[in-house]
Parts: sequence; structure tokens; C-alpha cells
Amino acid sequence: MSGAEPRPAPESGEPRAALPRSNPFSTRFIQPGAIPYFFPPGVDAAQLVLRLEQGGGWGEIIGPHGSGKSTLLAELFPRLSERGKRPLLFTLHNGERSLARHRAELAYADAKSLIVVDGYEQLWPWNRALLRRFCRRRGAGLIVTAHAPMGLPRLYSCAVDRQTAAAVLERLLPIRSSIGQADLERALATHGQNLREALFELYDLYELRQPSQGA
Amino acid sequence: MNAPAITLTLHDSRRVYRPGEKLSGQYFIETVDGAETQAAEVSVLWHTEGKGDEDIAVHFFDRVSHDERPGLDFRQPRVFSTVLPNSPLSYEGVLVKIRWCVRLRVFLSRGKQLVEERAFQLGEVPPARAVLP
Repeated sequence: MSGAEPRPAPESGEPRAALPRSNPFSTRFIQPGAIPYFFPPGVDAAQLVLRLEQGGGWGEIIGPHGSGKSTLLAELFPRLSERGKRPLLFTLHNGERSLARHRAELAYADAKSLIVVDGYEQLWPWNRALLRRFCRRRGAGLIVTAHAPMGLPRLYSCAVDRQTAAAVLERLLPIRSSIGQADLERALATHGQNLREALFELYDLYELRQPSQGA
Repeated sequence: MNAPAITLTLHDSRRVYRPGEKLSGQYFIETVDGAETQAAEVSVLWHTEGKGDEDIAVHFFDRVSHDERPGLDFRQPRVFSTVLPNSPLSYEGVLVKIRWCVRLRVFLSRGKQLVEERAFQLGEVPPARAVLP
């Protein structure tokens, strides 16, 4: 029996082995929410929620590309909901400079809302100021992710280290596989510790190492 | 709380189906306390898998719940069946794959969910293989 999140099927075992195996590095297995955020020893999601509350519901998550900022958000959301908050996530893409297209969703923000902007630095400075003022007026919380400090209380700094990367790989490959730790370390070195890009490189490697049909 | 035991089976235990064929199966959910299961949804669906954004489409869907049918006993087998469509056929590509499955989502008390899947193949499109440049 499986949980609610998709996980790669084991690479061996019956009866599913008769069908093609999933590539364990597919988007569905590595996207935020599909794998947990692996905290270093002494830190957990409950602490961050407490830190956020102590910061008046405002905070920033900082880290480079592929360091797990969005995955951390997905880890925090259920805990924030349990605390009576209503996270409203806005993920900015391709240099989105304003939240204008999200106006309808923002209209309902209130003191229970927690506005979450993933990729906050993409907003024009003027629009960041407008958003902060909007949140203050509504009494809403505000969490942002960015690659550099944005002037909000620091909630967490994400970084990929060897231990974290190994934990992610172990989660994706629970048993023996054609992919190993050395492959991951090579991919991380190639992509400057960007774990997301490294995992996508392993996707290609996994495909290359699949035996031919009938082999 | 003991986790419920979910049994999801396809009637003919086949791996490959042809477009237009009937797919049928059944499921039941065994719990210590039958009332723990609030609802169950069975879907026959396809989804893509790969490196990019993923797509999903539901071909067949059936939901039963205590709200709509008080006294429902999930321990009794519930049969489902559907005629499979002509497309999309299962495809084992390198950048994208098309997968078919029967998915059973069980809703338990206190918002918990469990998911069980049975994969099958629609059609017999040969797989693509990655090659070294």
C-alpha cells in the first residue's frame, strides 16, 4: 500500500515488474511535496513555524537555485494549515514582475491568510513594497523565497550539502539501482550544487542505463 | 490506528489491453472499524511522466462515500468497469512516457488519504531508447 504521495516503484519485485518501470527522477517524484525537505540535525518544520509566528507571520527563505526552497514551502504548508493559517501560494515564472494576474485570489486575503511568493525577487521593487503594504493592511502573513536577502525576517537559509543530497537519492532509490552516489556527486559538481538540475541529469543517465527491451 | 488493508484487483490480471476493450476490476477496504473509511474514489486514468510538466486525464471515475450512502460497507467488494478509449496509447519514451493505471484513493477520517494503483498498458507501441551521442 502506498501513501498519498507518488513514489517510484521498486526496481524489482512482482507483479509490477512486467510493466515499464518509472524513471525515479521524473518530475512527479522530485517536485515539491513529493519528497520531504531534509533538515540538518537540530532543525525541523515545527521550529520554523514557531520562528515564523515569532516574526509576526513574516519571513524569507533564502537559497540558490535548486537548493530546496519550494520543497521547504511544501513541507511547511500542512503545518501552517494546522495552525489555522491559509497559505496562498504564488509561484513567479519567467521574470513575472507583478502579482496583477493574481488579483482575484488576493482580494480574499485576510488575517488568516499567509501570502507566499516563490521567486519574490522577480517582482519590481515597487510591487514588493505594494505587496508588503497590502499584507500589513490585511493583517496577513507573508513568506517569500529568493536567492538573496529581501529585508524580511530570515526564516531559513537553504543549501545543498552532501548529506542532504545523499538522503534525497536514498529516498528516490530505495534499493539497488543503476544510479549511485558517485553519479549524484558528479552531477552536483557539474551544476554547482543545484540539486534540481542534478536530479534531471540523473534522469537522462537512468534512461541511458536502462537495458534494451528483451535484454 | 491500524492502516486499512486495500485490495484492488483487475479481473483478468492482464498487463496489456487493446483500445476499445473492457477493463474491469474490484476493490474492497478492510479496517478494524469500517466507519473509519469515509469515501473511496476509483479512477482509470493516464498521465505523463518525464522531465517536464506532467499531464493527466481521467477516463473513468466513480466515487462512493458515507455522506451519500449511509451504511455503506467498504469491506464488501465494489466492482467497476469501463471501455478503454482509442488513445492515448501507452508510450515508453525517453523524455516523456504515457502511463495508464487504475487508481484507488481512499479517504479516511481526519483528512488522511491512501492511494493504491494498478498499472496497465494500453496498446503495444514499441518503447524508445536513449542512445549515446
